[in-house]
Amino acid sequence: MGISRAKDKKRKLTGGKRKKWRSKRQARIGRPPANTKLGPKLIRPVRTHGGNTKYRALRLDSGNWSWGSEAISRKTRILDVVYNASNNELVRTKTLVKGAIVVIDATPFKQWYKQFYGENIGDKKIKKGEKETEKKEKETEEKKEELTPKQQRQKWKNKTERKKKMKKYIQKKVKRREGHVISKQLVDQFKKGKLFASISSRPGQCGRCDGYILEGAELDFYVHKLKTRKKK
Amino acid sequence: MTEQNQRAFQKQKGVFVSDKRRVLGRWVKGKSRLVKKIGLDFKTPKEAIEGTYIDKKCPFTGNVSIRGRILRGVVISTKMERTIIIRRDYLHYLKKYNRFEKRHRNLPAHCSPCFKHVKPGDIVTIGQTRPLSKTVHFNVIKWEPQQGVDAVKQFRQF
Repeated sequence: MGISRAKDKKRKLTGGKRKKWRSKRQARIGRPPANTKLGPKLIRPVRTHGGNTKYRALRLDSGNWSWGSEAISRKTRILDVVYNASNNELVRTKTLVKGAIVVIDATPFKQWYKQFYGENIGDKKIKKGEKETEKKEKETEEKKEELTPKQQRQKWKNKTERKKKMKKYIQKKVKRREGHVISKQLVDQFKKGKLFASISSRPGQCGRCDGYILEGAELDFYVHKLKTRKKK
Repeated sequence: MTEQNQRAFQKQKGVFVSDKRRVLGRWVKGKSRLVKKIGLDFKTPKEAIEGTYIDKKCPFTGNVSIRGRILRGVVISTKMERTIIIRRDYLHYLKKYNRFEKRHRNLPAHCSPCFKHVKPGDIVTIGQTRPLSKTVHFNVIKWEPQQGVDAVKQFRQF
């Protein structure tokens, strides 16, 4: 038995030593840290007290990341570990721990944004909604096939229905775009294809590296920290 | 902002800093801050509501609940960051001699930044919380400033 979590080896508040009065117990064991690194997924299940399982992630390369202000989550690759408030060593060794700041791939979020708002992040906004509908109509018209008259009628019927739905859908997207703002810092990150995110799960416990994209004041804070480090 | 003086970003758990509604200025109720009542008719200090400090161990703005014992004592030392030492005096009865003897115990307690200017000699009410550190299991919930330097050395039983 190695690491123990019992407090009997600790000194008292007064500074006095505590005498050992019992041996180590299985129920109070600690285990060596996972030190989850960046790499192809490697997770070991551990049998814990009560028959429960902990998933010790030894290597991870992706996770589920939330974009808070848009209220969505996507699975993305982790590209790099960039900052750790507790220990610079963990940054150097690229260790994934809760609270570490990492760089993640922005593609799934970019795709979602395009699908949800109908425009790419960082594009200049299309002012007239009508232009958008015209574009879509052209796209749908391009596909033409040889069909029987009945099939053609059916298709034409479906097409008008689809056009109606399309129009409604586009209008919906336009409405979503109204007054919607993305901060400039995020836009810059999206253009580079990399986002700063903070890990909020415990990879050594649950075997996952999930977290949230940094935004607002928090993002400013860490960007500033990284800049000052670079200067040194 | 002087509360961001650590290596990690200080924020309250449960407050979303980058809320779109705040960013767009739709919610203009001032800064969002999680403040709670600790119960037992203890008043939440104004500084806790209006202040900008972040303290996860604060009973009013942090993630601790006050339950169990409520004690009172005199502050002896405020040299630590956000924790103080309190002295509690009591009398111990000796049956053989039908008399009492003075005894005391020192208690470390977490002191939230909402209680500014706590100095040795002040009387403080502390409430029991879950262990906040190796020795700290109490949290300051009420502060009564006292005048007079010798207040520390008086025997006061609460």
